[in-house]
Amino acid sequence: MNKKLYRKIEPYIWISPSVILMAVFILTPILSVFRMAANKVSRTGKLQGFNNFANFTSVVNNPAFSLVLKNTVIWTIAVVVISTVLGFMLALVLNNNFKGRKIVRAIVVFPWATTLVIQASVWNFIINTDYGTLNTLLLKLGIIQEAVNWTPTPAAYFAWEIACGIFVTIPFVTFCVLSGLQSIDTSYYEAATVDGANYWQKLRSLTLPLVRPSLTVATVLNIIYVFNSFPIVWTMTKGDPANRTDTLVTYLYKLAFYNGRQGEAAAVSVIGFIILLICASTYMVYTLRKGDDT
Amino acid sequence: MNDVITHKEFSLKKTVLRILLYFVAIDVCIFTLYPYFAMFCTALKSRVEIFSPNGTIFPIQSMWSNFIDIWSRAPMAQYLLNSVLIAGGSTLIAMLCGIPAAYALARMKFKGQTAFLGFIIVSQMFAPVVLLVGIYQVMQTLGLTDSIWGLIFINAAFNQAFTVWLLRGTFMSISPEMEQAATIDGCTRVQAMLRILIPVAAPGIVTTLIFIFINAWNEYTVALCLIQTDTLKPLTVGINTFNGYNMIEWQYLFAASIFAIIPVVLLFMSIEKNLVSGLASGGVKG
Repeated sequence: MNKKLYRKIEPYIWISPSVILMAVFILTPILSVFRMAANKVSRTGKLQGFNNFANFTSVVNNPAFSLVLKNTVIWTIAVVVISTVLGFMLALVLNNNFKGRKIVRAIVVFPWATTLVIQASVWNFIINTDYGTLNTLLLKLGIIQEAVNWTPTPAAYFAWEIACGIFVTIPFVTFCVLSGLQSIDTSYYEAATVDGANYWQKLRSLTLPLVRPSLTVATVLNIIYVFNSFPIVWTMTKGDPANRTDTLVTYLYKLAFYNGRQGEAAAVSVIGFIILLICASTYMVYTLRKGDDT
Repeated sequence: MNDVITHKEFSLKKTVLRILLYFVAIDVCIFTLYPYFAMFCTALKSRVEIFSPNGTIFPIQSMWSNFIDIWSRAPMAQYLLNSVLIAGGSTLIAMLCGIPAAYALARMKFKGQTAFLGFIIVSQMFAPVVLLVGIYQVMQTLGLTDSIWGLIFINAAFNQAFTVWLLRGTFMSISPEMEQAATIDGCTRVQAMLRILIPVAAPGIVTTLIFIFINAWNEYTVALCLIQTDTLKPLTVGINTFNGYNMIEWQYLFAASIFAIIPVVLLFMSIEKNLVSGLASGGVKG
């Protein structure tokens, strides 16, 4: 009898360390954020009672917020879409057999392995007007005659941040697609070739549907990572000037730790989470359903 | 070989495609490596050379001393040690919690299994940065702000999803027959797991382990927010000592960065192949 009871609770003993770890360090912060968002919070972080969603209204009514939201949308869509397209193309190239493929694969991994702060610092250095290496290189090659100011406006700076985001995101997409490509049975291609299909036909009706599952996983994870990405914007511009390059996460960091408005920061977190949940689940449902049709 | 002409056309087209392929591959490599090249060259320049109006690509005179100076200009050794402790500690805790959980998910049936997996997936949506205010509160309650232990636990927790997910996939791909035979011979479940499953699953476990180590090593945001004391900072935050408000010591910043990058790039290259197949299969099957 005792043994039977043990058998029943045994799995829970096995998962308990993991559950406790995540409960304390993920679930409690999540609950804490939601509580803070709904309460008036003092500068020291003490809860002072429900305040009728005043945190949300003051966040939404701040003119900076719509700007930040717009930046976040542009940032996420631009980085995810462009890096997915480029990463996919790169995967098709690397899927061919050629000499040195291993070396190329190893090199492509570099941006993925490098911490984002360092990556962003280097980009900041490269595009600097006065001493950046991009100007130096182009001057030496004779492509430009005098140093170009690569970041004349906040929008231009933001575009460089997006470029940096794309640069570091491509490897992840490439490797996910590549693993999908390599699991495809080559006999499909042989059959298609016998039937007289050309490269594009094979790409459209064979490759794309077959790598879709890998691509979907990669894209959903990317949407989450990119939306929540903090170090690139923080290192390159800190969201300045005047929130022109802020995304939701840098904005909430400033609210919480520079301005001591933790309640509002928590509200921004909740808004961000809701947006993310809607986007990721819509994308997943949409692509999975499309996958079922074909 | 019967039709000589078409064969020739075919091989001409093939050659052109080959050349194009190499052209693209080489361009990709140059483009990817350029930031690292710029970083390395700059790390070898003197301050005067970096800021001189006549910019150079390669350093006029290689200042290898920059790589030595950083150790005295900032507590680099301490940062490095902190990074090792944080990454190593989080990896250890994440594995100690993750292996039994993944084992239970792969080998046992129990109520709440789907709910547990569901929470793991949903937890991926909450990046630490979105939860920073909450994390800060929890850490204050536990007295773990400004402590390496705090970072260890946070990194372990936020990597738990990956750990459990990847290991579950690995364990499920291994047939349970051997373990069952061992339990019949009188082994306990724990013994069967430790002696039979773990050795077989070693490649998958090592991949997961290295991946968590890299993630924790590269973590920046939480460390930036929680750590105030200079000597407790990991490398990612510490190297910003050279990135002052009015004066950036690029040569030192990049020399220090190279120390932060090299171990990770090497580790990453060693697991790249396994990691991606693990990621993809875990995601698709799940």
